[in-house]
Amino acid sequence: MSKFLTIALWLLGCLSLVAQGNEIEFVEYDLNNGLHVILHQDNATPIVAVSVMYHVGSKNEKPNRTGFAHFFEHLLFEGSENIERGEFFKYITDAGGTNNANTWYDRTYYYELLPSNQLELGLWLESERMLHAKVDQVGIETQREVVKEERRLRVDNPPYSLLRFLEQVNSRLFTEHPYQWSVIGSMDDLNAAQEEDYVQFYNDFYTPNNAVLSIAGDIDIEETKMLIDKYFKDIPIKNPDIFRPNIVEPPLTGEMVDTTYGKIQIPAIIMGYRIPAQGTKDYYAVNMLNTLMSGAESSRLNKTLRDEQQLVLQVGSFPLELEDPGVALVFALPNMGIEVEAAQAAMDAEYERVQNDLIDEREFQKLRNQIESSYITRNSRIAGIAESLANYHMYFGNTNLINTELDRFMEVTREDIQRVAKQYFNQDNRVVLNYLPEPLKP
Amino acid sequence: MNTINKYIGVLAIAFLLIQCSPKTTEVMESVEEIVDFRGSAPNPGPAPKINIGKANTFKLDNGLQVIVVENHKIPSVSFQISLKNDQINENEKVGFVSMAGDLMGRGTKSKSKAEIDEAVDYIGASLSTYGSGMFGSALTKHVPALLDVMTDVLYNPSMPAEELEKIKTQTLTGLVASVTDPNSISSNMRAKVMYGGDHPYGEIQKEENVNVIDIEACRDYVECFFIPNNAYLVIVGDVTIDDAQDMANKYFGKWERKPFKPVKHKMVPKPESTQVMFAHKDAAVQSVVNVSYPVELKPGAPDVIPARVMNTILGGGSSGRLFLNLREDKAYTYGSYSSLSSDRLAGSFNAQASVRNEVTDSSITQILYELERIRTEAVDAEFLQNTKNFMTGSFARSLESPQTIARFALSIFRNNLPEDYYETYLEKLNAVTVEDVQSMAQKYIKPESAYVFVVGSKEEVAESLLQFDSDGEIEYFDPFGDLDVADKTEIPDDLTGTQIVEDYINAMGGMDKLKGIRNVITTMSASMMGQNMTIQQSYAEGKFSMTMGNGQMTFMDQRYDGTTLQVSQMGNVETFTEGSQVDAIKEQATVSAQYDYISNGSTIELLGAETIDGMSCYKLSITKPSGNRVTEFYTVDGSLLIRTVGTAPGPAGDVAITTDLMDYKDYDGLFMPSVIKTAGMMPTPIEMKVESVEINSDIDMSMFEIK
Repeated sequence: MSKFLTIALWLLGCLSLVAQGNEIEFVEYDLNNGLHVILHQDNATPIVAVSVMYHVGSKNEKPNRTGFAHFFEHLLFEGSENIERGEFFKYITDAGGTNNANTWYDRTYYYELLPSNQLELGLWLESERMLHAKVDQVGIETQREVVKEERRLRVDNPPYSLLRFLEQVNSRLFTEHPYQWSVIGSMDDLNAAQEEDYVQFYNDFYTPNNAVLSIAGDIDIEETKMLIDKYFKDIPIKNPDIFRPNIVEPPLTGEMVDTTYGKIQIPAIIMGYRIPAQGTKDYYAVNMLNTLMSGAESSRLNKTLRDEQQLVLQVGSFPLELEDPGVALVFALPNMGIEVEAAQAAMDAEYERVQNDLIDEREFQKLRNQIESSYITRNSRIAGIAESLANYHMYFGNTNLINTELDRFMEVTREDIQRVAKQYFNQDNRVVLNYLPEPLKP
Repeated sequence: MNTINKYIGVLAIAFLLIQCSPKTTEVMESVEEIVDFRGSAPNPGPAPKINIGKANTFKLDNGLQVIVVENHKIPSVSFQISLKNDQINENEKVGFVSMAGDLMGRGTKSKSKAEIDEAVDYIGASLSTYGSGMFGSALTKHVPALLDVMTDVLYNPSMPAEELEKIKTQTLTGLVASVTDPNSISSNMRAKVMYGGDHPYGEIQKEENVNVIDIEACRDYVECFFIPNNAYLVIVGDVTIDDAQDMANKYFGKWERKPFKPVKHKMVPKPESTQVMFAHKDAAVQSVVNVSYPVELKPGAPDVIPARVMNTILGGGSSGRLFLNLREDKAYTYGSYSSLSSDRLAGSFNAQASVRNEVTDSSITQILYELERIRTEAVDAEFLQNTKNFMTGSFARSLESPQTIARFALSIFRNNLPEDYYETYLEKLNAVTVEDVQSMAQKYIKPESAYVFVVGSKEEVAESLLQFDSDGEIEYFDPFGDLDVADKTEIPDDLTGTQIVEDYINAMGGMDKLKGIRNVITTMSASMMGQNMTIQQSYAEGKFSMTMGNGQMTFMDQRYDGTTLQVSQMGNVETFTEGSQVDAIKEQATVSAQYDYISNGSTIELLGAETIDGMSCYKLSITKPSGNRVTEFYTVDGSLLIRTVGTAPGPAGDVAITTDLMDYKDYDGLFMPSVIKTAGMMPTPIEMKVESVEINSDIDMSMFEIK
C-alpha cells in the first residue's frame, strides 16, 4: 500500500514539476509530391509566418564545393521565372512584411513574416523558389561578393567569432565527416563553381520531397490547404533519392592540442568535445550538463572561474544540436596575466568535479527549473513556432515533440549527467586550441 | 477572396477534366490557365482587422499606478517597475543615477549579490535593476518566489559601497574607450551643443564626474525616487486581473508613499542658421556626419504619425532616400539614415552617415540636398503607399508581444494621450496623404538652420566644410563636447619641426648626454586587470629587451639582438628576422626615438599648435624611414614631449594608439617621464609608473641573446 502511495506521490510530483506550457496544436499532411505541410492556427495577431525548410545543409556538399548550400540560399533570392532580379525583397517589404533565411550544417530555412491577408503572396514566392528559381551570372557574381563580405563580417573580423572557433575546432575534430568544413565554406570553392554545379545542386535538393512547408499564425486551416494545393501540388519531384552522407566519424585516438592566430589582444582557449547526435538520450544529458556549467550568472564555470578565482574575463560552453554526432564548444578568455594553462586546468577541474561528485539535489532542481523555464518561454512568437514545428518533423519525424520534448529533459537523472561528463567530456575526446594574437604567428 | 475562389474553381474543374478525359485541347487550355496564375503576384485579401489587446489599470492606496496585460499563451509573468519622473539633472555627479539602479540588485540587508543571483537562477527567472526601474520575469508557478526577491531588492537594498567601487572602475574603463570612439564623441558633442550643459540631456560624463560619485548620492536617489507615487507597476502575462490585483496589494501595497515634487525643465533653443561643429580625431580615416537640431514634437501630438511617415521616406531604412542616394547611388557609405523623435522634454531630428574622409563634404551636400528635396518635391503616391504598408506591417507584428500592449498603456499614462490613441493608430497612418508628407517636411525639416556635426580628421576634412557654415567659422569641440578653444600660440616663422625636436633633446639632457649613454634599464610597474605587473625595458648598443611579469612568472619576453627579434609569450616562442615587427622593434632599440629622428632622415613636419590637458603644444607629424607615421605633441613652454599618437593593426582595421608621457623627472642627469599611459592597444588603457632608471650600469648582455 504505502509503496504504491509513494510511487503515486512521486508521479504526482513529476507532473506538478513539469508544468507544461500551453499545448501547441497543429495539423500536418503530405502532398503527393512528398512536400510535408504543417499548419498552426493562432488568430491573436493578424500576421502569418510562411516558411520552407529544405533538408540540405553544408553536410550534403561535395568536399571541393564547400559553402555551396549557404551560397545557394543567397542565390535563391535572386528571382525566378516570374520574379525579376531584386524583386523578391520588394514584394515583401511593399506588403508590409519581413523575411530572412539561414543555412546550417543539416538544413536551409526560408521564411516570410507577413500581414495575414498576404498569405498567398508568401505561398507564391516560396513556390516560385521551389519550382523554377532563376540564377544568372550577374546574380552569382553579386552574391559571391556579398558572401565574402559576410565572411569578413561574421567570421574573420570579429575578434572572438564563434563561427571562427567552430571552423577551427571542427576542421581538427572531424577527418571523415562533412562537419569538418564550415557552413560558410571556402571562398576558393565558391570561385571554382561552374554553371552545371548550380543546376545540379538545385535539382538534387530543392525538390518538394526534401522540404517542409510550415505555416503559423492568423490562418483558416481549410482555406490555407486549398491555397497550398494551388501553389505546391503541381511542383514535380526533381530527385526521388536525396543524397544523405552516411559517414561515421571514427573515435578520436587521444587529445589534440594546437595553436591558431587571430587579430586579438587577449588570448583565448577553445576546447571542442565530440558529443552525441541531437535527440539521443545522451544528448539531453549533455545539454543539461552545459546549462549546469554556464547557463546562468551563478552557474559553475561563471561562479568559480570568473567570480571566485577571477581567472577568466569570460567563459562559456554550448553544445551544437546536430543530426549526426557533433561537437560541444567550451571556451574562456583568461584574465590578463593568467596563463592559458592555468585557465584550462581550472576548467578541467570543474568538469572533473562533475565526473567525481554527483550533483546535489538542490542544484539538480535548479538545473531542471532553468531548463523548464527556457523551454517553455521559447515558443512565444509564431515565427519561432513555425521553425520549431519544421525542425521537429525534419529531424525527428515527430512534430508533436514541440509539446513533449521537455519530458525527455526531465527524464535525465543526476547519474546520467555524471555519466556523460565522464564519457564525452574527457581529455581523450577533445581538441584544445590556443588562440593567440596574430603578431605571434611565425 | 474572390480571386481565391476563382482559382479554386479552376483547379477543381481542371482536376475533373484530367480525371475524365485525357488530352483534349480544352484540358490544355485549362492547364495553361493554371500555370498562368504564377505570372504575377497574387492580390492581397481584405485588410485584416487589427485588434489591440486591452490593458487593465488600477491604483493602489499608496499611489502606485498598476497596468495589467493578460495573456495566457505562455505560462509566465513579468513585473516591471517604471519610474514616472523625467530624467533629472545629475550636475557634477553625472552617471550616478544608473549606478544607483545597478547597485539595487547587488545586495539587500539579508542577501549578497551571489545569493540574489542564486535565488533568481534557482527558479529559472530573470531580474534586472536600473536607474529608472526594474524588471523581473518567471514562470507562473515561480511568481511568488520571484516577487519575494524583487520586493526585497526594492525595499531593503543595502547599496554596498564596495560594489559601487567596482561599477566606477568599469565605468572609467568604458570612458577611456569612448574617448577614442568617434560615435561616442559625436553623441557627446551633439548632446552638449543641442541641449546645453544645464539640461539633463546635455550632461556628459567625464572622469572627474565618476570620481566624485559617492554612495550617499546613490542611496538618496533610491530613497527619494523609488517610491510608489512616482512609479508604474506593469504586470504582463499569464495572470488574471483579479490575481494581479491580489499580488499588487500583497507585494507592493506596503511600499511606503512619500512626498514627491516633479522637476520641470526648460525648452531647448534651436539653431538660427546652419553651423558646422567639428571634433577632431587624430588619424581618422572616416568622418562621422550628423545633421541635427532640436525639434518641438511631443509624444501623441497630431503631427507625430504623418511626420514619422515623412521621416521613413527620407531615411527610415534601406528604401529611404538617404540610403538610396548615399549608398546605392554614390557608394559613399555603408548606410545613411534619419530619425525624427518625439519627446516630452526635447525632441530631435538627426540625419547621419559614416563616410570616407575624401567624400565628407560631398556627403553633407547630398544629405542637405535630400533634406531640401523632401520639402520641395511631392513624394510619389505609390512610394508613399508602400511606406505606409511597411509601417502598418511593423505595427501589426509588434502587437504579437504582450509587452507592446503594456508599452502602449504606459505611454498613454505618461503622455496623457487619449485612450484610443493606439487603437486608431493605423487609421491615422492610412489617412496620411502626399500633401501631409510635404507639409510635415516643411514644418520639421530645416536644412537652412541645422547643426552639421562632424567627427574626423581636422587636417584632411575641416577646411572643405567651411562652405556649409553660415558665419564662415567652424567651431571645434573636445571628445566630451566642450568647446575646444583654438590654441592661441603664435608660431614663429622661422621655427621648424627639427628645431622643436632638438629643443626636446636639450631638455632631456642634451645631445652629448645622450651620446654618452651606452645602456639604460628602465623598470616600471603597472596594474592590469587586477594584477600588479613589472615591466622592464633595456637598451644597449642597438639591442633591446622587454619583459613583463608579476614577480613569480614572466608573461612576455621580447628580445632583439640587432638583427633578430624573439617573442616568448605563454610558452610560445616566435622568431622574426624581417617584417613590420622587426621594423617596429628597431625603432625602439635606441636611447631615444627623437634622437634618431635627427640622424636617420625622418621627415619632421610642424603642423601647428594645439592645447593638450591645458598646455599649449606644438604638433609634429613625423614620417620615419620605414614609412611609419606618428603625431607628437611638444609643450611650447618647456619643450617636453607629452603625447604621441600612432597606429597599430587592430581587429577591425588600424587603431590609433595614444601614449601620454607625464611627470618628467631627473634620472641621473637624464630628464624622462615618470608616468606613461597608453590607450587604444588593449581594451583597457595601461598606466605604467617608472620605478627606477639605471644608466650605464654593468649590464648583463645575455638578456639580448636569442635563445
